[in-house]
Amino acid sequence: MSEPESDSISKGKDGLTIHTVSKDRLLEFMKDMKERGFNHLSLITGVDRRDYVEVVYHLHAMDRDEYVVVKTTTDNGVVPSMTSLWNSARWDEREQYDLMGIKFEGHENLKRIFLPENWVGHPLRKDYDLSNVQYINMDEDGEDYATFDQGDGW
Amino acid sequence: MNNFVELNFGPQHPSTHGVLRLRAKLDGEIVRELEPIIGYLHRNAEKLCELTFYADNLIFFDRMDYVASMLMESGYLEAAEKILNIPPPERVLWIRVIMNELSRIASHLVWAGAFGLDLGMLTPFFYCFAQRDYILDVFTEVCGSRQETNYMSVGGVYQDLTPEMIEHIDAFLQSFPKKLEEIYRLFVKNDIFISRNKGIGVLSKETAIDYGVTGPMLRASGVNYDVRKANPYLVYDKVDFDVPISQKGDNLARFLVRFEEMRQSVRIIKQAITKIPDGPFFNPKAKKSMMIRLRGDGEYYARTESPKGEFGVYIVGDGGVKPYRVRVRSPSFKNLSVLPVLAKDQMISDLISISGTIDLVFGEVDR
Repeated sequence: MSEPESDSISKGKDGLTIHTVSKDRLLEFMKDMKERGFNHLSLITGVDRRDYVEVVYHLHAMDRDEYVVVKTTTDNGVVPSMTSLWNSARWDEREQYDLMGIKFEGHENLKRIFLPENWVGHPLRKDYDLSNVQYINMDEDGEDYATFDQGDGW
Repeated sequence: MNNFVELNFGPQHPSTHGVLRLRAKLDGEIVRELEPIIGYLHRNAEKLCELTFYADNLIFFDRMDYVASMLMESGYLEAAEKILNIPPPERVLWIRVIMNELSRIASHLVWAGAFGLDLGMLTPFFYCFAQRDYILDVFTEVCGSRQETNYMSVGGVYQDLTPEMIEHIDAFLQSFPKKLEEIYRLFVKNDIFISRNKGIGVLSKETAIDYGVTGPMLRASGVNYDVRKANPYLVYDKVDFDVPISQKGDNLARFLVRFEEMRQSVRIIKQAITKIPDGPFFNPKAKKSMMIRLRGDGEYYARTESPKGEFGVYIVGDGGVKPYRVRVRSPSFKNLSVLPVLAKDQMISDLISISGTIDLVFGEVDR
């Protein structure tokens, strides 16, 4: 079998092969990887690099115990969803949307998983203001809304 | 159609192991749709890690899986020590294996006791917690604290194991296997327990892998994947142990796999306390005054086997004294995501036993 066609290949400190793929070709690349036996999507990580967001996928072939890393970058915080290939992407993508603000195109139920529905901002972003303390209150109809306390936080 | 009753479980329900909330759509007594709602214990440990020095981050990991905090610490250090280039000396690796396995037994005992409670068995709970207390006594002796141990540190451990401590661990290992079989019999000789678990909540191999399920749950579904064997870290390649697997995939299989794991852990500790070499218990590069100045660079993904499954820590360093990004793969989080599949078209009483066998710890699910 030929090598998977990624834009560039490097090695991490942990010895894992890192494939960098542009986000337009990501879904096609991942489909190819799944056919190569990577049946377990172990982890999805968003890394806020200030100018852009990097999305890191850790793929695992359960049968031969092989790990690879697939990386993609996005300027506008939108990447294709992997839920059509692996079900384990469902909660991971919801978590990264909640905390990092990455929008996964094609995810059928992309809503916050940890924080309340009407929370303002995404805490793992580097520009998230930690000095602005947020409280979630409930109005008379049972809806959440946020109030702020500037200068009371970290 | 659509005359389902919507029922809310939790977040404060005695059988939800913490703060799990389930929204179930019921057709009579049968669960047709299930949605777990989590986040009640969320404190964003990943962000806290970015704000704190490498060596101090351990306290957040202690509080993730708080019934097996030693394993969380060693999981974080697997990645952090590589990022910081501070390898621990040989003796430390053995101490960590001993502590990890003691912690694994303690975690499985908590699970077994709580699982019995879910099914209305009060007695095993006391038996399990009595045995667990002996382990917590060992932890108190080595580091002064029972649950949030904070025993390990970058490049070593807080305090060396003295011969007396090893003697106490040995004394526990002498008495524990007999007690474990007693607890085991309390469960499996009970007809009600067997009939409520045999053939219930069957998880197929393919579904398990697809949802990212790992640990005893995956092995009970017939996949032989244990990080300790697949990618040996610490000194797991120098000790002899078996990985129990089952092909059944039901509640009873998960129960049996966890009990067998405890027996194997006893085997590992027995070998470790005889093989442990002499030597320093920390790397002199990581003295207390140096800790704050440690700088990390590059990225590292380390996986370890926690009692719940594959515990992964992914650290991205940018050359500073604090990590740029820390990401945690918490096994309970992934294992919980398969619950809607397992509970579909099952009786509501089975939902309780199924969620019991997942072994949820909410410190880790919500992080």
